[in-house]
Order: sequence, then structure tokens, then C-alpha cells
Amino acid sequence: MSNPNERSTTDQILDLLLDALIERQKARRAQAQPPPAPAEAPTPPPPRPEPPPAEQRRTAARSMSTKPAAPPSPHREPQPEDPGQAAQSRSGLEEPPPQLPSIQMGKMLGRLALLIVALVVLVNIPVTRYGVSLARILPETTALIIRDGLVLKGSGSEIYVLEDDKLRWISSLDAFEHLGLTWQDVHVVDDEFLSRFEQGRPIHVLLKCQSSPHIYRLENEQKRWIKDIDTFLAEGHVWEDVRFVSCEYLRGLPDGPPIPEDARPPPEP
Amino acid sequence: MKDLAVIETILRNRHHFFIEIRDGVGLNQKMRAMLISSILFLALYGAVLGSTHSLWQTLSSAVKLPLLFLATLIVCSPTLYFFNVLFGSNQSLTQNVALILTAITVTAVLLLSFSPIVVFFLLTTASYQFFKLMNVSIFAICGIVGVVFLSQGMRIVSAAGREGTSARRVVMWLWVVVYAFVGSQMAWTLRPFIGAPSMEFELFRQLGGNFYTNVFASIGEILGFFVVR
Repeated sequence: MSNPNERSTTDQILDLLLDALIERQKARRAQAQPPPAPAEAPTPPPPRPEPPPAEQRRTAARSMSTKPAAPPSPHREPQPEDPGQAAQSRSGLEEPPPQLPSIQMGKMLGRLALLIVALVVLVNIPVTRYGVSLARILPETTALIIRDGLVLKGSGSEIYVLEDDKLRWISSLDAFEHLGLTWQDVHVVDDEFLSRFEQGRPIHVLLKCQSSPHIYRLENEQKRWIKDIDTFLAEGHVWEDVRFVSCEYLRGLPDGPPIPEDARPPPEP
Repeated sequence: MKDLAVIETILRNRHHFFIEIRDGVGLNQKMRAMLISSILFLALYGAVLGSTHSLWQTLSSAVKLPLLFLATLIVCSPTLYFFNVLFGSNQSLTQNVALILTAITVTAVLLLSFSPIVVFFLLTTASYQFFKLMNVSIFAICGIVGVVFLSQGMRIVSAAGREGTSARRVVMWLWVVVYAFVGSQMAWTLRPFIGAPSMEFELFRQLGGNFYTNVFASIGEILGFFVVR
């Protein structure tokens, strides 16, 4: 955008005078030769790269009003150089407003864009040890779409999976990993939000080693021996929940109470 | 930076800008500048929207938001052009596209101006439904202002065609309605832009439902009538 102030005042006044002279000449021609020949080639308007500032326009208008131009022909046909004047008058757009000088908005917009880039980068930088960024650090109670498989955690250490509007407690870290979950899947919510849901069956991981027939349920990092198949089925377990591990690992886990609790002491795997 | 200067011309000297479009002065340069500015601003706003979910969503929304506006422009501009021609306009298709791009540029710059506010709410509220509705409102406000610019531009640019002026005005406003419908459906097809916090990142979500029912459902959840599932 060029600055209108770059042109000298004399040039601008001369341009205005030239415009006024051309207008007057046309008006006289129109009076002298009514009606104008339709085939006559339209006179191109003189080049006006930049309209003058408002003050000069007003001065020019005042000088024109003291010395009125030749009266226009009452039956003047629309001229090629004034297309749309009728429509403009109808819509109240008789004369375009003066062009305003630049306020360097381009630079300002560039700076604003840079600021937004900086903000976007800033809110996406991980700030916790779990890799959570500022943009996602707030508790998400009201941000969640309730659905099956949603992983929730309250103020305590328990982590739950939502299934059929019931919270299923994930009983161990092994079970958590067995489900293929990561910390990114966990949504920390208010306890009040958790209390809206009923408790469902907990999710356990079942462990077995190759050389032993016994199946153990991992719960609070303890292994609980499941007495027999009937108990296994009664607890709602399925074979797909059983994970094979080494017998050394299984033996290394502390024993918890057997299932059912009145069963004999658990055997060694 | 030079291309961004077109924004100042549109916002402060719009009459001269539209007259230049009418006279075909520097149309290609204008369109290039508007295209670059609007892509840049929409990408930034898209990045802000996606930041609520994940880095992938940030990048995805930064690409998808400009795509949404440009795809809507491509889909809708022939209709406006041919209906205008039908009612006596002497504008070219390029002039029509330049005018629609003006509206998109105005919308884009207004969206950019809302970005700091959106970042503020992103950091201070965790309500997904509120955030979504707030952005729908921002898009609506900026879109309406853009359309008002388009209307002004149409009036100035089509002033040369004396016949059918009022009919073309009606056509333009009907076209605006169609543009809004196409835009909202395009947005629904290209979703997610924000990304529900409890859902995995998806480049495009499966089709189903529509924009309007989702907005009503979000309003319902905010007012406590039901929970969106």
C-alpha cells in the first residue's frame, strides 16, 4: 500500500483540476451533440492511482461549489466512465470514502500470529512427569464423553474402567498393563464424579506358569490361589484372562488369601 | 508480512478494495495475499482448538481448518457465480471468488483475534461441551461479519450491472444460507477439530449424526438435561 502523502500537494491539486476540466468538457459535448452516438468509443477515465486526502477533497469541493460546472443535460445517457452511479446512489454509495493512511496493521498481525504460535507451543509442552501439558492439566470431570472403556481415577490410587455404567476396579498394575492401558488413557476426575456410578466386578489378571496346574489371581500385588474350575467360573473368569508367566516370577509373589477364603492353604506353583 | 497488509486494506479501505475488484485491478495478487493470510490465520486458530486434546490433534486441526474453508469456497462459488450471471451480473468467476475470499479473510482475521480468549478458556475450564459451544459461537460471529463484508462487496462490485440488482441481492442472501449449511456439514465431515478428551486421536471420525443435533446435545448437557454419550 503506497502512502498518499508521498505525492506533492501541487500534483494532487493539479489532478483534481484536470478531473474537473475533463468532466466539464464531457458535459459540454453532451449538450452540443444530443444524443451521443452509441458506437462512440468510451473515453477512458484519466488514471487516478490515489485519491487525495479528505481535507483536499473538501477544499476542492468548496471551490467547485463557488464556481459551478456546466449544468448536466436533462436527458443525459449513462456514460461508460460512470458505471453503477445510479445503483450507487440507490444504495447510498455516491462517493467512496477517502482512503485512510496505513497504520502498519500487517506488522501488527504478524506479531499477533507469532504470539499465538508461541502460546500454542507453550500450552503443548509437557509439564508433568506423565507428559501432561498445560492445555490438558485440568481435572476432566466435565470434559468427558461417557463411554464404555473410559479409564477413570479419583483422588485415591484406584483406577477404574467404565463398563455398562459401572466402575470396574483394575486390581493390579499387571491387570492395567494386561488391558493394554497407559497413563495417557487415565482421566483424573473428582471423587464426586466417580460416586455417580455403581461398582461393577473388579478386573483381575490371572496368572499361571507352564509347569503348574494352579491358577492364581493377582490382587493388590498378591497372588490368590483359585481352588478349582467351579470357583474359577463362579468368579466370572474366562480363559482369555489367564496370562502365562514364569514359575519363578509366580513364586516370588506374596500369597494372599485363597479363593474361596475357607479353602486349604495355597499350594506352591 | 507484505501479504498480511491486504487485511488492512480490507478492514480500513474496503470501498477502494471492492472498487479495485470490480475494475479487476491486481486481482491475482489480491487473491494470493488473501489466500495466504486466511490459511495462516485459520491454521493458527485450528492449532489452538486442537491443543485441548493432543499434539496430533493440534497439527491435524491446523491443517483441517483452512481445508474446511477452502473446500466450502470451492463447493459454493460456482452456484453464486451462475445465479448472479442469471440475474444480470457481469462479474467474472474470479471476481466472485475474490469476493468470497474477502469474506473468508475477514472471518479468519477475526478468528485470530479471538485466539487469545480461546487459549484463556482452554487453560481455565475443563468443560468440553462449553468449549465446543463457545467455539461454535465464535465461528458464527466471525462468519456473520465475513458475510456482511461479502454483501457490501457484492453491492459495490455488481453496481455496474443495473438489471436485477434486487434479485441478485436476494440470491446472495439465499446463497449465504446454502454456504452456512455446506460449511457446517463440511465441518461435521472433517471433524474432530477439538477432540473429545476421553477419546483417542482420530484424523477423521466416522460419519453419523449431524452438526445441529450435536450442538443441541451439547447445550442440553451444559444445562444439565442429559449426558452426551
